[in-house]
Amino acid sequence: MSKPLIVGAVAYTPNVVTIWEGIRDYFAGSASEMDFVLFSNYGRQVDSLIDGTIDLAWNTNLAWVRTVAQTDGACRALAMRDTDTVFRTVFVARTGSNLGGLDGLKGRRLALGSKDSAQAAILPVHFLDRNGPGADEVELLRIDSDVGKHGDTGRSELDALRAVLDERADAAAIGINTWEAIGREELMPGAFEAFWESPTYSHCNFTALPRVPEERTGPWLERLLAMDWDNPEHRPILEMEGLRRWVSPKLDGYASLVEAVKEQGISARW
Amino acid sequence: MVSHGLVLDLVERVGTVARHGTVSVPLGEGDPEELAATVAAWCARSGNELVEVRGSRAVVRRGRSPDPLAELAPDLVPGTRLWMYTNFDCNLACDYCCVRSSPQSARRALGLDRVRRLATEALAAGVSELILTGGEPFLLPDIDELVTVCTAELPTTLLTNGMLFRGRRLEALRQMDRTQLALQISLDSATPEQHDGHRGRGSWERAVAGIRTAHDEGFRVRVAATLPYEQTHELAAFHTFLDSLGIAREDQVIRALAHRGAADNGIELTLESLIPEVTVTADGVYWHPVSADHDDQLVTRDIFPLQDAITEVRRRFTEQRAQATAAAQWFPCA
Ligand code: SF4
Repeated sequence: MSKPLIVGAVAYTPNVVTIWEGIRDYFAGSASEMDFVLFSNYGRQVDSLIDGTIDLAWNTNLAWVRTVAQTDGACRALAMRDTDTVFRTVFVARTGSNLGGLDGLKGRRLALGSKDSAQAAILPVHFLDRNGPGADEVELLRIDSDVGKHGDTGRSELDALRAVLDERADAAAIGINTWEAIGREELMPGAFEAFWESPTYSHCNFTALPRVPEERTGPWLERLLAMDWDNPEHRPILEMEGLRRWVSPKLDGYASLVEAVKEQGISARW
Repeated sequence: MVSHGLVLDLVERVGTVARHGTVSVPLGEGDPEELAATVAAWCARSGNELVEVRGSRAVVRRGRSPDPLAELAPDLVPGTRLWMYTNFDCNLACDYCCVRSSPQSARRALGLDRVRRLATEALAAGVSELILTGGEPFLLPDIDELVTVCTAELPTTLLTNGMLFRGRRLEALRQMDRTQLALQISLDSATPEQHDGHRGRGSWERAVAGIRTAHDEGFRVRVAATLPYEQTHELAAFHTFLDSLGIAREDQVIRALAHRGAADNGIELTLESLIPEVTVTADGVYWHPVSADHDDQLVTRDIFPLQDAITEVRRRFTEQRAQATAAAQWFPCA
């Protein structure tokens, strides 16, 4: 039996333990056993991937982009969730605001999530520049309530929505997952309406460095991709992790974030 | 008008616990019914479970709790067995009788028609065994007919003190179907003192004679002892005695005395601590045979349709287990 692959993940909620124990158990007894190590933030996780403490990292899109930058592109992405290939940022305002699109934000207040959140801070600024009036034309209210976790907790996005409800902001930029979690426009009639949805981009992936050869990651990947929504033993893991199936990475989906990081001079250690 | 912060709070707080963990979320200002409906709608949509709304707070579980019925051993699922209290009156007045039976108790009989219908509906409802208990069923003049309508449908156990197998009652016993019926006779000890101390002088001797009679008549005989909890581990002599009567080891049943009915002490059995055994009496459907004389464990006055009663018992059990699990998570003992 070869040594188990060690996968790193960031513990943004206690449920992460349950999720990774489930995934570890799924691999137990296979030709590619794995174990996991939890980190308190993505900066530390990427450092540990680079120094060889872990073999694979379950990285956010920002952590991936930073790993690419720090390894001169030598890292490779192995797989992502189906939901990671079609991630979007949603701009929402109070129902009836009729902002009509990003241009409606000119001269208004936009609440953003934590500064290291691709979906709720970095990409919204990028979209304002590319598709709207330019970030300079909008008053940005930054809510850094979960820095280090790249927005995974969703807390800063909920705080951004609260800012809209409290009229401290006219709109908020949140991830599609948070928009779904609050039930879109349906569960709180009269609260929020979406007025702009971004193009899709890629979110998380399993990242490996060349030090871990494909002979080791190949069987692991094959087993990962075999997780089956219709299998009642696999289903709870997939539900908890928010996907129906694991898919090959969609790398062109990172282009917008690569540009945004460059334009905004994002720090390498977040 | 629902406070919009409620849904944001739900997302945030449920996000802070692991799967199957529960959180208590304040409902906030507004119409309580509307707020509760919002929580229910959010839970349904997000795959989480509303455990309960208590006062101004909602208790929500992350994910859905496992089905408590699916977690039970198959033979413990409520509705696997159907208990029927045939009468309630008894020739004895045991000091620990859980339903306070005695010669003075008024007869509250189910009667042949209801027993027949129950047996038929039990078969249709997926029940696999019928259990008849008294007071003392052999006081009923038509006990052989009651047993026959049961054994015609399902394997049946008849609980008795075994003291009345003479004359026409012995004849009634002989009419019963030995292939479908087991007798369960109460005997508490290997010697008369303990048994007679609770059940009356001379009762041990007559019970032992009844066990021998039933056994000689070719019936499967189970012997059930009711003992104070602290004695339930000192049973070697008792088992040796029952072996000598020809009772198979698996038919030697020991029950801990319950603090119910006439009993002054015994283990406490509450709705929460008992896995239900659907029990029908002339007064209605009860949670468990030990509580068939206690309104706190009355499930419904409607005996028919039996399927509805079984469904209701299962529903309450599921709901209660979910709440108990949630309560256990509120008070973790570090
Ligand atoms: S315990 Fe049984 S035998 Fe004793 S009084 Fe109650 S019903 Fe009668």
